[in-house]
Order: sequence, then C-alpha cells, then structure tokens
Amino acid sequence: MENKQIISLLAHNHPGVLLRITSLISRRGFNIDSLTASPAGIEGFSRLTVRLSGDDDKVEQFINQMLKIVDVKKAEVLPEESSVAMELILIKVNSDSSNKNDIIALTSTYHASLVNLGERSLTFRASGTPSQIDALIEELSPFGILEMARTGIAALENGDNCLAD
Amino acid sequence: MQLNGSEIIAECLLEQGVDTVFGYPGGAVLNIYDALYKYSDRITHILSSHEQGAAHAADGYARTTGKCGVVIATSGPGATNLVTGIATAFMDSIPMVAITGNVSNDLLARDSFQEVDICGITLPVTKHNFIVKNVNDLANVIRKAFRIAMSGRKGPVLIDIPKDVTGAVCEYTPETPVETAEPVLSEDSEFQAAANAINNAKRPMIYMGGGVVSSDAEKQLLAFAEKTDCPVATSIMGLGGFPSSHRLFMGTIGMHGGYETGKATDNCDLIITVGARFSDRVAGDREKFGKNAAIIQLDIDKAEINKNVRTDYSLVGDLKDTLAKLTEYVDEIKHDEWNAQVNEWAKKSEVTETPESEDYAHPYHIIEAVRALTDDDDIIVTDVGQHQMWVSQKYRFEKPRRWCTSGGLGTMGYGLGAAVGSAAANPGKRVVLFTGDGSFHMNLNELATVRSYDLPIIIVVLNNTVLGMVRQWQKLFYGRRFSQTDPHRKTDFAAVAEAFGVRGMRIKNDDDAEEVLKAAFASKEPVVIDCRISPDENVLPMIPPGKTVDDMITEME
Repeated sequence: MENKQIISLLAHNHPGVLLRITSLISRRGFNIDSLTASPAGIEGFSRLTVRLSGDDDKVEQFINQMLKIVDVKKAEVLPEESSVAMELILIKVNSDSSNKNDIIALTSTYHASLVNLGERSLTFRASGTPSQIDALIEELSPFGILEMARTGIAALENGDNCLAD
Repeated sequence: MQLNGSEIIAECLLEQGVDTVFGYPGGAVLNIYDALYKYSDRITHILSSHEQGAAHAADGYARTTGKCGVVIATSGPGATNLVTGIATAFMDSIPMVAITGNVSNDLLARDSFQEVDICGITLPVTKHNFIVKNVNDLANVIRKAFRIAMSGRKGPVLIDIPKDVTGAVCEYTPETPVETAEPVLSEDSEFQAAANAINNAKRPMIYMGGGVVSSDAEKQLLAFAEKTDCPVATSIMGLGGFPSSHRLFMGTIGMHGGYETGKATDNCDLIITVGARFSDRVAGDREKFGKNAAIIQLDIDKAEINKNVRTDYSLVGDLKDTLAKLTEYVDEIKHDEWNAQVNEWAKKSEVTETPESEDYAHPYHIIEAVRALTDDDDIIVTDVGQHQMWVSQKYRFEKPRRWCTSGGLGTMGYGLGAAVGSAAANPGKRVVLFTGDGSFHMNLNELATVRSYDLPIIIVVLNNTVLGMVRQWQKLFYGRRFSQTDPHRKTDFAAVAEAFGVRGMRIKNDDDAEEVLKAAFASKEPVVIDCRISPDENVLPMIPPGKTVDDMITEME
C-alpha cells in the first residue's frame, strides 16, 4: 500500500554524512518529500527525520539501506499513531487594506501569528502537523502566496521511548 | 614511537598482515613511496602500467586469497583511474582498501594541480571512504578501513590522504587487529520455519552466489545440499563454491545458464537462495522468477532481503553459521524423482559443437583443452563478453577462490590486471586468463607488468575480431545492424606480446590447439596465445533480458 511514513535516523555528525544519506536516497530512487537534520542532543550525533512515500517493502528497504551507511547508527519508522510530527512555515501573502482583516481572522484559526506587515503583504508564522500546514496553505492561496518556506518535519515518538535506546 | 604519516601507513598495513600492495607512484604519494622504499623487505609493491590495472590486481589478489587487496595511487588522475576497479570490486563485494594521495591541506579546495574530490567521486562505489586531514587520526582510520572492508558484506573502502599528512610526524602505537565474529541476526523460530519449508518441499533447489565464496562457506553448503538432496544452480559469482563434478551440481543459472537450471527454477516448489542477489542477469523477470516456488534467502546483508525478489523466509548472518545451523534443523531427505527430472532436462543442455573448420578454433574446444591441462588448484581469470560466458558454462571448477571474473559491473579490461594480482598472490599456482580481442585491447598495457615480474600467466585471447557479445545482441534484437561491433582490427596479439617481451603463440584451428596449449603450459613463462575463433560464434542458450526459460533461445541463424 502506497503511503507516507516518517523515519528517524541517528547518525554520527561526521563531515559528509548528509551527503552520504541524500546520495543514497537519490541513487536508490527513494521518493521523499521532506528531510530535516539537526543536532540530536547527544554529543557527536545528528538526528534526521525523513518523510518517505512508498509501501511497506519500500520503507523496509529504505531502513536496511540506510543502516548500511557506516555513520548511520539507527533507522526506525515512527508509527503515526504513537508519535508527534510537526513542522514550521513562514508564509508571505498578498494583502491590501480591503482584505487584511479577513486574512488575519482566517489565519488565527490555525494559530498562525503575524510576524511582518509589508506594504502589500502579510507574513505569518505557523507550526503544526504537515496536514495542518497544507490546509493553511490551501486557505491562503486564493489571496496569492508570494513566497513561503517550510522547515520540513521534526518528529518524536510519544511516551518514554527514545531513538538512541 | 614517533613516525611520519607514510611510515604509519606502512606499519598499519603490516598490522593487517598485508604483504603485497599494487599501485603507481606520483607527486602526492611521494612520501608514501619513500616509506615503501624503506619497508620494501616486508611489503612487496607491484607497479602496474596504469592505475586501473593496479586496482584490478588488488581485486584479483583479494578474490584468490580471501584477504583484503590494497592499491595505492596518486591524487587527481591517479585516483580517478582507480574508479572502475573500485566499482568492479564494489559490485562483486570484494574487500579492498584504496589509498590515494591528495594535495596538501592548504591546497585543498583551490583546484590545485592534480586535485580531485575522490571521496565525492567514489561515494556510490565504496562501502565507505575517508579523507584524513590530521596525522593523529591516520592509524585508526586505516584500521577502521580494513575492518569495514572485511566485515559483513565485504567491499572496497577508500582513504584519501593529503600530502602534508603523509609527511607529518606523530606518536604511533602498534595495535593487533581483533577478529570479531559476524552475528547471526535471525531467531531460532525463523530457522525452524525455513527448515519446515525445506522438509516439506518436494522439488527444492539451491540457488547460490558469490556470498558462498566470500564467507568461505563451501563446506557448509556441501553438507547442507547433501543432507537435503537439493540440486544446486549458481550465479557466475558462485562458481567454485560448489564442486562442478558433484552429482547435485546443475551449473550456472540465468541469461546464459543451462536449460536444466531454467527449467528447475520454473518447476521447483522451493528455492533456497544462498549468498546471491537475484540480479537481472539471473532473475530476468523478477515477477516470474520461481513462480511456483516459495523462496528462502540466506544472506549477510539484510538489505538484500526483498530487494529484487520477494522472499518467504530469510535468514540473516554469515553463511558459514546460518548454513551450519539450518543444516541441523533440516531432516535428511531424498529427492530421487526430482533429481532424475533435473538430469533429464540436463540432457537438453548438452550443446553440440559446431562443425570443424580449418580457419577457426571452437571456444568450447579451447576451454576444454585448457581444462585438461590444468588442475583444480589453478586459477582462471576472464575478461567480459562472450568468452566469459563460455568459460562460465564450460570450465569445471572444483574449488573456491580459483575464479576471477567481473560479475556485477561487467568490466571489459578487468582480466589482465586481475590475473596479475592473482599470480602475485599465488606464486607457484598456474593462472590462466581467458580474454577476448575487445577486452584485451582495453588494458593490454599490463603485459609490461607481467613481464617485469615474470608472472607465469597463460593468456588465451579468443580472437573473433568483433565485439561478439554486443554483436550477438545486434543480431537478435537490432536486425543485424552491426553498429561499431565489426572493427576487424588487424592486431597480431602474438606479435604484440613479443614486443612486450612476452612469448607469443597462435592457434589457428582446433587441430593445433592441444599442441600449442601443451607447449604453453610446459613453459614456466608468461605466454599470449592468439586463438582465432569465428566472428559468428554465439553464446547459447540465452534467455532474452526480462524473460524466462520459456523464451530461451537455443539456436541462432
């Protein structure tokens, strides 16, 4: 079954480790729609979060391939039902005095906050699950989106389990 | 003790038990070669004509000894010339450590003379690679490189070392490498489940590959096959991992495999895959491969499970251990009827030879004549193309590590370098290289190396004056439009050999084959035999790409 799954990786933050991971993703033809990397909070390690499209076989193959990279120490699926996955977006929307209040009212239902007021635009910051962010974008597109930047997904498993365990 | 980086390299090679390295000097490795000069009583360096030849030689050394091959090259073009050799080793899971020099740290990233990002270039064709920017890290990186190359699924590792690091001095403390056993990752219940499938199978077969050779698991495989009475098919990488003379041995499987292995694959109810990876040259049609069979896969690399063909049972771990354990779980079974059926199919596989010709020798005849003069310990090397397939079909291998061929990458020009490495690694053993005129033209410069070190290699050039394998595909699939495959070059390989100081001989047809080969084998010197075969000779049978045994071509023109 084709679906989207979130995979967390723990890797030594040696130079080039991101290249090794992305090069393998491209070489093996994996279809990803988000990849984020940041310090893992453990000395010398990075944590990467990948959202991958594919069936269970593809995900299994992805994890097995990732674990062949010498610097990758862990690779696990984060089950959707038992993890929290969030991302942040900055989004700049066309706006003039006529629709300014409508836009602000609309974005407030997404807990988006206005971070900049331009002459012909409004810039909001919002965070949420990928589907919440998708919904916000859809709501704002009729006004004309000038530009936007999404961070990609950060995700952790619920409860006491940790990737490094 | 205080040593410079180059001496540390030499000491670390000795720690790993390396006695022979292959390579070519240059500006960025001057310090390393200065150390090799000093250590020349303990480390033999074989100088190739071209870095590619050195990389293939390290590969041949590794395949025939089971040890890690080592190759050294300078920065820039020296390093890029290794790439084909590294990629060849990578595709066939051959352990290799490639050491390249680079420009000094202060010149890196400035497009300096002979600077290249070889780590970037070799990223997809190495298990791992390193650039060592600090001499204090050097010893441990080298140790780690050998560990990576030789552990799990083996393969090449590259270490790039800027020139200043090879000259910088630091404290070196010797270390003895610790051997770590490969873990068996599968649970007892998984062994039991696989064993149940084997015990209940009526028509089981074994499909083995290079993993059997790589993990030295030939004894365990033999014991398993005999206990379960399973007929054995092999990929060309697995040749030698199971004795060809054994009653259970069917031969090679896949595009140019025998009729019986194809029929067995289609009609069996269980395929036990041992150290093989269902490449497209074996499982042409992934969906239909073993269509009536359940599949068990034993492999050291978990990523091979369900990669190309979906398996029903998998056992992950070193084959020596997993095979031995699985053998304990299975019942002693007989499959007389099934094996009789396989033998019946095998009769159809016995290829009839083409009529005698005054102008040409027949490749099968030559291969059998060579086999009659070799013993089971002699090493056979090939290049890539028709001759390679004929040898894989016809030569009867009895023991592992007597066979070097580029299976995965299909590297024309591989053979002579690999033969040099095999001969250097196995003094006293006979090495025979079968090559074609196309492959031999690519890297025959290594004849200079053969002569320099007096390596008694017998080189049989099956010379059809065409690029036979590609031409065969043009015949079958491109309406006989022989685009660039009919060069009909006039090269006289015997004369070429003489120019390099190597004895040259000629075989005109089947009648003089035995006599010429006997004379070649009697001399203890390197020999090149230019052996004329017909340009219209084909490799048969053939399963067209993407197809199954039902579409097997057994006759052409």
